[in-house]
Amino acid sequence: MMSTDIQTLKSLDLFADLNFGELEQIAPLMHLMKVTEGEVLTRRGESARTFFIILSGNFMLSFNEERSFTLHNKGNIIGLSTVVTPFRYTATAVALTDGLVLLMQGQEFLRLVQSNSALGDTIMRKINEIVSERMPYMTGDWEERRH
Amino acid sequence: MFGLEAIIAHDGLGISVIGISIVFVSLVLLSFAVSQIHKLIELWDKKKISYQRVKKLQQKDQKTPSVSVPTVPQDVQRASRQFKLLIEWMGEPFPLPKLLDLSEKCGLSHPHSTINEFIKCELIIPDENGYYVWNKQL
Repeated sequence: MMSTDIQTLKSLDLFADLNFGELEQIAPLMHLMKVTEGEVLTRRGESARTFFIILSGNFMLSFNEERSFTLHNKGNIIGLSTVVTPFRYTATAVALTDGLVLLMQGQEFLRLVQSNSALGDTIMRKINEIVSERMPYMTGDWEERRH
Repeated sequence: MFGLEAIIAHDGLGISVIGISIVFVSLVLLSFAVSQIHKLIELWDKKKISYQRVKKLQQKDQKTPSVSVPTVPQDVQRASRQFKLLIEWMGEPFPLPKLLDLSEKCGLSHPHSTINEFIKCELIIPDENGYYVWNKQL
């Protein structure tokens, strides 16, 4: 695993609004990891310790009652439960193809978010948006989303 | 007339109070302006980022054709026959993890990447309830 560069972070939607100084704080905490077809990144119900951002490759997230969706784009996030209580993965993430992801340990991420309120606010706002988009897959309640 | 008397006679006290007030108010205004500089810098940063985003979007729009018709490559079509049988056996709509699990158990080659190809070719499409259906139009 290698640490990542600022330019890569800047190209990701999650960090697009951060300034250079904030990206410099994040860069040493993020590590590159290669994934292979069929590799399981997270398992539903397990303690959420790692947060992933897709750089390349295709992934499937499967939730309760085998509801699922696939992720194909750079910047898509896996392992949101790392920063959301009760810190247990709500989905199993499987790599459908070989790919490349950035990973960060949940505790380091939380420490960073708590130590810099402006940075934490920017990131958590984006994470909340993604969580609300994925909520129907977790709860099975699609009516609210349609209205 | 000298000393304090002269100062009072020529409104010296009033003038000095006004002078002190002007200096004090100026310093307050200056400190406020300095405290707001970070907001200006943030605004400048955001302006640069949004300009870059708009530029990227424009480049993307130019690159992508306006109408995209999904096509199914021949190797995907060949693989689809076996997967279609599994889907018929499961019934529709079907859960994607179950299809993956079954195809692994049946020993189909590279089930993960094959299913990914099906999704990309829109041979398998989501039903908006978290499950998938076979695209009969293709």
